[in-house]
Amino acid sequence: MAWKRERRKRDTVVPTDSLSDVAFLLIIFFILTTSIRRLTGFQADIPSAERANQSQQMEKMPSLKLTGGNMTWNDQPVDANLLRAKLAELQLASRAESERVIVVEASGRVPYQQYFEALSAISGAGGVVGILSEERGARK
Amino acid sequence: MPRRRRPEIAVPTASMGDIAFLLTIFFMVCSNFAKESGIKWTEPHAPQLRVIKESKVSVSIDAEGQIYLQGQPIPDADSVESGVAALLQRRGDSDESLVMFKCDQAVDKEVFEPVIAAIARAGGVMVAVGEEHKAP
Repeated sequence: MAWKRERRKRDTVVPTDSLSDVAFLLIIFFILTTSIRRLTGFQADIPSAERANQSQQMEKMPSLKLTGGNMTWNDQPVDANLLRAKLAELQLASRAESERVIVVEASGRVPYQQYFEALSAISGAGGVVGILSEERGARK
Repeated sequence: MPRRRRPEIAVPTASMGDIAFLLTIFFMVCSNFAKESGIKWTEPHAPQLRVIKESKVSVSIDAEGQIYLQGQPIPDADSVESGVAALLQRRGDSDESLVMFKCDQAVDKEVFEPVIAAIARAGGVMVAVGEEHKAP
C-alpha cells in the first residue's frame, strides 16, 4: 500500500509590520530635502547677434556705464533710483524691439551685484540689454 | 462578585502604511532635487524682482569664480556656450530656452560677463536669480 504523504501547505505571508516605519523614514527624508523657497529674479533680454556688427549702432543707443561702484547714464552720474526714473521716462515697453536696447558697458572691477541691479532695472523697464565688452583694451 | 473585564484599547494601524506611502508619493512628485546644493554663493539683491519658474538648464558661478553647468564644474565660458547649446537643442522646445543664471554677488565682471554673453550666443534666455531687496 502506497503511503500518501499529506503535504502541508505553507502559509505565505508578506511581513508588513515595518512597512509604515520605512514609509515614514522616506517622508522624513523628503521633508528634510525639499526646498519650499520660491526663486526670485528677472528675465534678461540679451540679443545673441554678433556685437562686432552692432558696435556702430550701439553708439547711438542710450548707454549705461558701470565703473567700480559708480554708474553713468549717457555720461551723467546716476544712482539706482535715478536710473529707474530715467528708464521709466523712456517708456521702453511701448517701443519696437530695436529701440529698446540699452547698452551696458562695464569697465574696471565691477562686481556682479552692481551688474545685477543695473540689469534688473533695465529688464524691469522692458529694455533689451546690449552688452558692450572690452577685449584686450578694444571694443568688441 | 464577578470581575469586570477591561475593554482592550487598540489603535488601528492597518492603514498607517498606506497613508505614509501616499505622503511619500506626494513629496516625490512635488520635490525638485537641488542640482547645485554644494555650490557656495551669496545671492545678489535688487528691488522689484519677480517670482521665477525654475528652468531645466542652469549655469552658476560660485564665490571662487568657478563656473558650473547643471551643477558640474566646467573650465571656461566657451564650454558654457557649447554645453548650453547642446542642452537646449536636446530639449527642442522654445519655451524651454530659459537658462537659470546664479552668480555670487562679489564675482568680478571678467568672470561673469563672458558667461552671460556665452548663454546669449547659445540661444538661451537668461533668467538671473537673486534676492528681492525691499526698499526701506
